[in-house]
Amino acid sequence: MKKIISSFGLLLALLSLGSCDKGFDQINVNPIAAITLDRVFILNNAIVSSSFSTATLNYDMGIVQQIISPNSGVLTGANFNQLNNGNAEGLWLQFYRNVVRNTTDVIENTRGVPARSNLYNMARIWQAFAFMVLTDTYGDVPYSEAGKGFLAGATFPKYDTQESIYTDLIKELTEASAALNPAGTIEVSEVLYGGNVANWRRLGYSLLLRAGMRLSKVNAQRAQQVVQAAVQGGVFQSNADNALIRHTPNYVSPVGNLLNATEAANYYMTDVLVNALRSTSDPRLASIAVRFVGAASGAGQTPAVANRTAEVQIGMPLGFDNVSIGPIATAARLASFYDYSQVDRTRVARVASPCFIITHAQTQLLLAEAAQRGWVSSSAATFYAAGVRAHMNQMADHDAGSAIPAAAIDAWLAANPYAAATGLQQINTQYWLASFLNGPEAWANFRRSGFPALRKNPFPSQQIQGNFINRMPYPIAETAVNLTNLQAAVQRQGPDNLDTRVWWDKQ
Amino acid sequence: MKMKNLLYLATFIGCLLAYAPAFAQTRVSGLVTSAKDNVPMPGATVSVKGTLTGTITNVSGKYTITATSSDILLFSFIGFKTIELSVQSRTQIDVSLEEEATQLGEVVVTALGIKKEAKKLGYATATLGADQISVNRTVNFMNGLQGKMAGVNITSLGSGPAGTSKIRIRGQSSFGGTNSPLIVVNGVPIDNTNFALAQGNLSGDGSVQNRGNNNSDGGDGLSSINPDDIETMTVLKGATAAALYGSRAKDGVVMITTKSKGSSKGIGVEYNTNFTTDIPMVLTDWQYEYGQGEGGRRPTTPNPTSGVWSFGERFQPGMTQVLFNGVTVPYEPQQNQIRDFLRNGNTFTNTVSLSSGSETGGFNLSLSNMDNSGILPNNSFNRKTINLGFSQTLAKKIIVAGNVNYSKEINRNPPQFAQQDFSIPTSLYTMANSMPLNVLSDNAINAAGNEFLWSRFTNRTNPYFNLARKFENIMRDRIFGNVSVRYNVKDWLYVQGRVGQDYWSRQQDYNFPTGAATLAPAPAGFVNGNYVQEARRQREINADFLVGANRKFGNFGIDVTLGGNQLYVSSEINSASGQDFVVRDLYTIMNTRVKDPTYGFGERRVNSLYGAAEISYKNFLFVNVTARNDWFSTLSPENRSVLYPSITSSFVFSDAFDNMPKWLSFGKLRAAYAEVGSDTDVGPYASNLFYGINANLFPVGTGAAQAPLGFISGLTVPNANLRPMRTSEAEVGLELKMFDNRVSVDMAFYNKITRDQIVSAQISDASGFTNTRLNSGQSRNRGFEYLVNLVPVMSDKFRWEVSVNGSYNTTLVQRILSDDNGTDRDYDNNGRAEQIVVGESIWRAGQGQIRQVVGQPIGMLFANAYSRDPQGRQIFDAAGLPVITPLVSFGSVIPKWVGGITNTFIYKGVSFSFLIDYKLGHILTSGTNFNAWRHGLHKGTLVGRETNTVVGDGVNQRGEVNTVAAPLQQFYEQARSRDIGEQFIYNAGFWKLRQITAGYDFTKHLPNKLFIKGLRLNLVANNVLILKKWVDNIDPEQAGFGSDNLNGLEATGVPTTRSFGFNLNAKF
Repeated sequence: MKKIISSFGLLLALLSLGSCDKGFDQINVNPIAAITLDRVFILNNAIVSSSFSTATLNYDMGIVQQIISPNSGVLTGANFNQLNNGNAEGLWLQFYRNVVRNTTDVIENTRGVPARSNLYNMARIWQAFAFMVLTDTYGDVPYSEAGKGFLAGATFPKYDTQESIYTDLIKELTEASAALNPAGTIEVSEVLYGGNVANWRRLGYSLLLRAGMRLSKVNAQRAQQVVQAAVQGGVFQSNADNALIRHTPNYVSPVGNLLNATEAANYYMTDVLVNALRSTSDPRLASIAVRFVGAASGAGQTPAVANRTAEVQIGMPLGFDNVSIGPIATAARLASFYDYSQVDRTRVARVASPCFIITHAQTQLLLAEAAQRGWVSSSAATFYAAGVRAHMNQMADHDAGSAIPAAAIDAWLAANPYAAATGLQQINTQYWLASFLNGPEAWANFRRSGFPALRKNPFPSQQIQGNFINRMPYPIAETAVNLTNLQAAVQRQGPDNLDTRVWWDKQ
Repeated sequence: MKMKNLLYLATFIGCLLAYAPAFAQTRVSGLVTSAKDNVPMPGATVSVKGTLTGTITNVSGKYTITATSSDILLFSFIGFKTIELSVQSRTQIDVSLEEEATQLGEVVVTALGIKKEAKKLGYATATLGADQISVNRTVNFMNGLQGKMAGVNITSLGSGPAGTSKIRIRGQSSFGGTNSPLIVVNGVPIDNTNFALAQGNLSGDGSVQNRGNNNSDGGDGLSSINPDDIETMTVLKGATAAALYGSRAKDGVVMITTKSKGSSKGIGVEYNTNFTTDIPMVLTDWQYEYGQGEGGRRPTTPNPTSGVWSFGERFQPGMTQVLFNGVTVPYEPQQNQIRDFLRNGNTFTNTVSLSSGSETGGFNLSLSNMDNSGILPNNSFNRKTINLGFSQTLAKKIIVAGNVNYSKEINRNPPQFAQQDFSIPTSLYTMANSMPLNVLSDNAINAAGNEFLWSRFTNRTNPYFNLARKFENIMRDRIFGNVSVRYNVKDWLYVQGRVGQDYWSRQQDYNFPTGAATLAPAPAGFVNGNYVQEARRQREINADFLVGANRKFGNFGIDVTLGGNQLYVSSEINSASGQDFVVRDLYTIMNTRVKDPTYGFGERRVNSLYGAAEISYKNFLFVNVTARNDWFSTLSPENRSVLYPSITSSFVFSDAFDNMPKWLSFGKLRAAYAEVGSDTDVGPYASNLFYGINANLFPVGTGAAQAPLGFISGLTVPNANLRPMRTSEAEVGLELKMFDNRVSVDMAFYNKITRDQIVSAQISDASGFTNTRLNSGQSRNRGFEYLVNLVPVMSDKFRWEVSVNGSYNTTLVQRILSDDNGTDRDYDNNGRAEQIVVGESIWRAGQGQIRQVVGQPIGMLFANAYSRDPQGRQIFDAAGLPVITPLVSFGSVIPKWVGGITNTFIYKGVSFSFLIDYKLGHILTSGTNFNAWRHGLHKGTLVGRETNTVVGDGVNQRGEVNTVAAPLQQFYEQARSRDIGEQFIYNAGFWKLRQITAGYDFTKHLPNKLFIKGLRLNLVANNVLILKKWVDNIDPEQAGFGSDNLNGLEATGVPTTRSFGFNLNAKF
């Protein structure tokens, strides 16, 4: 009997073990992960994650006819004016998941924290940039409820109209730029400018200028007001102000990486771009291009046959696939299509070449247009020349091997003076060049300004009705999970295809 | 009543087992008595070992049988120990049989390792004996059991010999991807983590993901077990059966009992050898009319169009092609590229065991080595195991028992699967149909030591470059086992304590080789490439106690068990990835330019208390009630405790009534209801949002300073208010044995509701996250399963047995999302049935997406479909290309019908059996056919070749007949750029001739004095023939991901294999 009693004693002891859950609260605390973090590091991630993805190679840069691939399948896009879902949704996934997600976290966690007021406003500026790219690409997009899956439980955000988004972006850029305070905490760990408040303020106003000019077609009056406010605030003053992501071998440029890896032999400069540069003896041709003379295959693109002089460059004509281009290449006395000029993957398109988000060159050219339109008082010609010069100087920041001597710049400017009669065309053609490798901006400005005067890609089998692709369709995932909100946007905006124009792209 | 029945049974058996004089024989006769009371035993079976010769004792317990002097006679009676006696020169052999220590009747190992008489069980089980597991085997023994158990769906993932075996009992119930049963060895759970592929799994179900794009299936926990060590395996199918195992057993339990004791007092030695050859089943039926090239041109210059496209010219005699290396060769089809690249695999297993046994205890020790070479030329798997089981009774009251299993597994170069770059299978299945293999093998590496570019599509790595340069090694050391002490306080009362641990460490390393064409060049001074080295450690400890008591009060009996368990699980991973090397071909982390280390850690605990009470009446009515309370560390304090009950009953009506018809020897009705709670889909720490820091710093501005980049961990919105999931299952069953056991039937109907499922729902990317975790899903599994055993022919020389098992299961999604009040609502307000996306094809959603949709079966396959007009005609756009309807539902990827039929023939000791199995009623999307289509290998792409254009058969958007000719290659490549899945959706069903086994026991031919006491040889064949399938070019089983969220999304892997071999067993 004693044994039975002692056995039950043991049982009771074990029972108490079951109901005792004190250890549980400790055991369910993650010992190796942070529940908070200095939010400047999150802003850094948002900035670095904004580098334009390879999807912009297939669409944005192809739509503006700078770079194309003759190949189909995964490389389909603006080369054939056909829909390629994977690339069409690329920017959406990248920017919402990696940029907006982070900026929202920073903004919501620094709002009302006086010591982090500068960080808060920097994040607002960067977020405004990100949303501008998103809405320019897709039209109406989730904005007011975006990025708040955790913070507000907004798992199916509604789509805001592009008009309301631009209204708010302008407000955000205006407020945040003005609120940056040199006497406040300097966020020295911030990767873009080391937290320099003056730089950030100029970035904010330069983006405001961009936003303002974007409205020139749809609402010139509003555009003028915004542009004037931006100029008042103070925009970029030199290339040193440029907002660029300084890629490293550890944080490579997605575009540079693709052009060096799997698709090294599959993208070419267009004849449109090469001819545009060559027709004015633009020194930038020799800065960006390379031709593997006599290459009969990808393997034939060896350093030994690489030729970077402007004279030998031959751009690939639009409208062909990798078979139909064959006779065209032969007629041009090329060994194969592998013999056409490419963006130099050892210089401007190297793996670690920087991604320019917004530049002094672009800003000066926008000011040139504003001056031409009479919205700002200075001389359009001066802004124009400054813009061109800034971009030619900027080539050295892409890669030392792409640097253009000052004398060459002077010579080009002397030979190609600004003429007010063709001002808008000149300015925006230069903007097109100044936005080389910045697909979203080149495409947006092309749609807004109509320059350069590109001809429709003559590819025989296309999926667009108009002359150019006007927007990207929404991701398939949105039709799966956020259909109602998407449909409301489609209702307002027009069919979800490549033809529908975004709000500011008024015909 | 009982005795009477047995008598009937015995008489019938006796009638059927007639005498069979065959050799120079003598007549042996004698008396069989019960050892306990010396009473003669009528109806005892007397047979000649290894033959069908047998008889039964008459009413006075006497028998006569014909046998030779070298024969061994077996004396058996249900509930008594079988006795073996050698005849030698005797003609009179009397024996007395001792009662088995256990109770009467067939005994089943149930939850917690408690043995129960089968007739008491109120729920369905399936049991397999050692022979069914070890004779006709596969590397992961579980894969060899396909089609053998009713209601158990086993899938080999086709991911190579050491790959994961996916087991689903009564279908998939939870929307999470893991619906695996709990694996229990000798009463204590073991870890069955699988390292199968999971890319595309959107549901975050805890699947273990590889870093980078190294997609091999690193196997599961079951693959550590040597089938020769298994004594029996019992599957407890329902939640009912598993009620006592709680949370992890909601999908059933696989109970494995390993050998722990020999059958004789001396040292018994047993040797088993098993050898099989695995022959790849290449089922491709490509087009061989048009050769490689693009746009209707064959390659006439070195690179542009050779390699992986077969959109070239029609083969004509005398034509030539220029290959990537500049060589001109005949332009002719190469029909056996895949088969020629692969080799036959071999599996060779040798096991030696030592055992001893007596009334007070015994042991079994086995050593085993398995060597496998895969069909990919550099793939191998080696497993060494040591297994020790023992039990000993001390002082008649204390029983100490235990077992320990150690295994060491080395898996080299498991196949890359479902992936583009560095995948040998993908390259083989997309290679241009006129590319000679020898040119690829002779030109894999160029003068610089890098991959020789052979296609403009550099993702298709030359398979010979992969063989030469890419490697992967996985090594696992694992030890699991448990020790128990049982103290029989009284005849009717015992106390037992038990502790078990499963611990493994797993080292893995792999590279992406320097010089592969898909890799970007390294910065100056380095060479490109990647290397990853990982070490994982997993520990699971179970400590439990049991107190059991049973008493009889007249006609009533009561059996009470109380117990508690504490489960502790911890897992750790150290992983380091390095990119770009200083010294070429030296694959170490130290040699890399940039290093990215990670460390992962998680631990969880579940405390449980439980009790069971069984009340019996007159040994024919049994009612069993259980209750269990679990406390989960992973859930919040308010939600962590859950109590759930079960009640089962068994009514043996054949024992209850005296007026049963004679042909019915056994009849039982059973009914059960059980609930189980689970936190399965919640990992530790799921309630918080965490932040992390990237491995490398980023420059600040133009200065020298560098700063960290921070990130928000995970793309799933955390939820701190999760409750345990609840499963409730009701089942009824009927067991009948008729016509002297020549017909037996066991069937079950069940209805299982799984509610409060923790659902990982896909949300808009614009939210900044991809998924959110909700606690509201509900599904209903409903189905039936049956096992019918027949003996159509039974004579002394020939016996034909048929065993048919089958199941029908449907799982209906009843609810996915709900608000906090538990009321259904239209979660995303779009008027559609609620649905969530849980998995996606590796190519993109349009190729295949798995969704759960309310009101539909679980696992619906969505894909982009061809747009059609009301008459069903396909619509083409102005470019002549198909118009697409995004993401349409095509059906469920979960089979409804699963089963198998085994026929066994025994003639004079030679046994021959074959198993046909099937899975039916589900669909898949075939990535292999998708690639074949866009690469121009599929026969369907022959349409339009003459003109090199395709005029799609249908109408344009204005409703007129389509006349626009689209360029042929683009027409077919649209499948890729527009993600057209419809073309590649197939019925995934199949009928297979799964196994053939032929065996003979040579024991009776062995001279008595020979040191070998027993010898049995079996010839085996596995996965012999596909009798019927619907999918082109592949075996529908050649598709596999471990997660249920990825069912039906086939992406190219290695072909399945047909195996032939033998199993030889010798006893000394």
